[in-house]
Amino acid sequence: MIQNFFKIAWRNLKKNKGFTAINIIGLAIGMAAAILIMLWINSELTYDRFYKKTDQLYIIGNKDKWNDKIEVWFATPKAMAPAIKAEFPEVKNVSRVTSADNFLFTVGQTKINSGNGLFVDTAYMNMFDFPILEGDPQHALRNPTQIIITETLAKTLYNSTDVIGKTIKIDSTDVFIVGAVLADLPNNTLFNRTQYFLPWQYLKKIGRDDKNWGNNSVSTYIEVDPTTNLKNLEANFKNFTQRHAESTHENVLKPLADTWLYGKYENGKVVGGRIEMVRVFSIIASFILLIACINFMNLSTAQSEKRAKEVGVRKVVGAKRGSLIGQFLTESILIAFIAGILAILIVFLSLPAYSNLVDRKLSLNIINLYFWLMFVGFILFTGILAGSYPAFYLSSFQPIKTLKGKLQLVSSKVSARKILVVTQFSIAVIFIISTLVISKQIQYGQDRETGFNKERLIYVLEQGEIYDKSSLIKQALLQQKVATSVTRTMSPLTQRWSNSSGIYWEGKPSDNTTMFNRTSADDKFVETAGLTLIAGRDFDLSNFPTDSSAIILNESAVKAMGFEDPIGKTVKDMDMDWHVIGVIKDYIQESPFEPIVPLVIEGAKNYTSTTHIKFNPDLSTREALAKTEKIFKEYNPDYPFEYTFIDEEYAMKFGESKKIGSLASLFAGLTIFISCLGLFGLAAFMAENRTKEIGIRKVLGASVFNLTRMLSGEFILLISISCLIAFPIAYWAMDQFLTKYTFRITISWDIFLIAGVSAILITFLTISYQSIKAAIANPVNSLRDE
Amino acid sequence: MIKITNLQKFYRTLEVETVALNDVNIHVKEGEFVAVMGPSGCGKSTLLNIVGLLDDLDEGSYLFNSIEVAKFKENKRSDLRKHNIGFVFQSFNLIDELTVFENVELPLVYTNVPAAERKARVEEVLEKVQIMHRRNHFPQQLSGGQQQRVAVARAVVNNPKLILADEPTGNLDSSNGNEVMQLLTELNEAGTTIVMVTHSEYDAKFADRVIRMLDGQVILETTALSQ
Repeated sequence: MIQNFFKIAWRNLKKNKGFTAINIIGLAIGMAAAILIMLWINSELTYDRFYKKTDQLYIIGNKDKWNDKIEVWFATPKAMAPAIKAEFPEVKNVSRVTSADNFLFTVGQTKINSGNGLFVDTAYMNMFDFPILEGDPQHALRNPTQIIITETLAKTLYNSTDVIGKTIKIDSTDVFIVGAVLADLPNNTLFNRTQYFLPWQYLKKIGRDDKNWGNNSVSTYIEVDPTTNLKNLEANFKNFTQRHAESTHENVLKPLADTWLYGKYENGKVVGGRIEMVRVFSIIASFILLIACINFMNLSTAQSEKRAKEVGVRKVVGAKRGSLIGQFLTESILIAFIAGILAILIVFLSLPAYSNLVDRKLSLNIINLYFWLMFVGFILFTGILAGSYPAFYLSSFQPIKTLKGKLQLVSSKVSARKILVVTQFSIAVIFIISTLVISKQIQYGQDRETGFNKERLIYVLEQGEIYDKSSLIKQALLQQKVATSVTRTMSPLTQRWSNSSGIYWEGKPSDNTTMFNRTSADDKFVETAGLTLIAGRDFDLSNFPTDSSAIILNESAVKAMGFEDPIGKTVKDMDMDWHVIGVIKDYIQESPFEPIVPLVIEGAKNYTSTTHIKFNPDLSTREALAKTEKIFKEYNPDYPFEYTFIDEEYAMKFGESKKIGSLASLFAGLTIFISCLGLFGLAAFMAENRTKEIGIRKVLGASVFNLTRMLSGEFILLISISCLIAFPIAYWAMDQFLTKYTFRITISWDIFLIAGVSAILITFLTISYQSIKAAIANPVNSLRDE
Repeated sequence: MIKITNLQKFYRTLEVETVALNDVNIHVKEGEFVAVMGPSGCGKSTLLNIVGLLDDLDEGSYLFNSIEVAKFKENKRSDLRKHNIGFVFQSFNLIDELTVFENVELPLVYTNVPAAERKARVEEVLEKVQIMHRRNHFPQQLSGGQQQRVAVARAVVNNPKLILADEPTGNLDSSNGNEVMQLLTELNEAGTTIVMVTHSEYDAKFADRVIRMLDGQVILETTALSQ
């Protein structure tokens, strides 16, 4: 019987090639989109959850009240880890993790900037089991002169991964031996960009360690014994920081497995995080697949007249309804299978571009048995979902109605087919509106005044001898007229590296815990960055040497401090007094979609590590870069010259939003395409069905315009109904989406107008070919057959 | 074999109730060849559908081989039909996607006959109707007469006790029509009961008895001798 089903299914597919092609392509695209989304979802759901000891791993956090709100953050003091190990026997392992960037790696003649690395404690590799290519990582970390590197770094430095025992010079002084080589870290871990691991002892050696319980600057991970009573541990751990320092912080333990998906806190409680994106994308994947299945349902049931006689005959000769349902489901599963193969091909071809879009290295592991089991299950699911309604519908035909002549299908005002078309296009219109709203929101952010001038402005992170020879470099840049202005700062202009609630000023209320962003600058900060002074002056060390202990505030800081006349006031920070010399207009340091945070810019007595250079407008960018590189090479010959344009870095702030916008456009495009594919097929079928009617109408005087309008009218009406359904849903969904932005657009009526008109226009273009073709056909040909 | 008593059949819409069959009483003995005649709309096809368990009665009794089948649900009717009744239609009603062999094989598939036995029985009936040489062709490749011969083969492959033919020669020319009537006659002589709806007085002459209907009622029954 099954063999018979497949034979009939195959012949039916071959007989109706046009509809078969539309069905397969529509399903294939829907399935491919669903597979791509599911790959990303799988990556999210396995983020930092793939270690053998995942269930035993926790990250330490702090909880405290700021301005009547409870905040939770996961930076901890360096001193915490050894204290945990000493005081909690149920903690088997503990490791600090902090970034180790901006070293110069030298191997023979090869000199490269080290890229992203980590300082970790010896237990780290015991806790996080990354795939090993060579060596013994656990042993390597116990040795203060060994380094662990990844495959890519090994190939960059040595063109090989067989490099155990080979040496790397770090900066100009320290030589490390490669103790182990790991496979490149997977994408779905917080450590994904890490290319090397250095032992914590080296951080101590270069003077970066401290015992300050108030300096929360590293991550601390623990591995608990599996038999540990976690509630007891949490209770004992709650006041850990308070027991070691004067602090109101409470300590929390967060399971590592939850850090990625459940990282959003409100008033001290977990309220979600990435899991919301996972849910949204799951819904999107379901909708896209549903639309493709709706296509299949519509086209299959539209052809029901052609199958009616067969159903009647089969029932007459003895087929039961169950057997017919089985037959039609077999056909839909066969189509789903062919579509599935095509979908896999589409996924393979589009995976590199898609991985780029979602910024995650995704892959299909086709040699894995689990993959094939899932694939077969997916095909069966899709085939049954798509084929269920047509199977039940077609198998319900009664022989006495189908065998005498044509099945008279009553066209009702509200038919299942119309409901399916309206459902499809409602989803498509929701996606169109989402795309429009997201792109408007991005534009809104981009149009927001930055408060600084990002043209021709670069920064260079200070490595090697740049710090010591900074004044010589600056002098050379200015004298050679490469730059019009140079300033050295703590952090790049558009990054926040430091903040504090411990800044004091005269009249500060005792319960005030306002968080201030903090940076520093030596000279000509306002001039170089193109900021706007609204009171006082810029740093000017040559005329005012005391500016090394001066401070500039932004508007928001002045407001937070309640100063009416800030110039000359004193601000205390990190045991130093800073005198206010200037106030600048707020500028966007962090997110263009969030309010500007109070900012203090402390003078040269604070540390600096970044040089900003404003290029001379009389030089082309290429010339300016070449000359700048020459100067840096002269004073810092051992290090490659690396720079970043401020405008490019600022543009990256829209990266996440643009990614979401691109995905929304992609999904909107796919749903429209799939829906139009189905509409095209439906229009063809309905035109064919009404051939006689069209012929008669033409004979009676109908024009091509009359007929086209008649044939298109029903579809246009359905799409209009789709718009009416989609508008309120899309409004609500987008309003929810925009709540995460403090600076957001209002969802105006023109968005809905554009979406509605676009949907109707696309529909008309899709069906017009069939409508016009039917309308211009010679009525003699259709009436002759009657 | 067939005993129908006080049969009533209505067709109802929201506005109108039409009496399709009104107090019909029919008795067909095993091995008989009965023709049902009457003008269009008199209810003869409706009667045939009821006899063939494709439609149900509103009132009355239907004994098929002494079993009351009037209240049978669809599954039971389907079982009874596929084991006992074969159908021949005016428009052949072959499945275009199946070959001649596969069309004839279909009833055997639904009665779960094993493949080897199916092959033997299909080939036997195809020989009988002289269409074996076209076994791998599709219906569109056959003439009207050939298609009807295939339909007859399909109707008899399960060795049914009863064959119902609804204007079997209606779409055929006289030569092909004769051939089909010849086949039906041979089947009847071999013991198969046949009930045939026809407009053709010529075809009716092949029957043992003619039942004439008008406006949903039987108005006359004549035997072959009295025709």
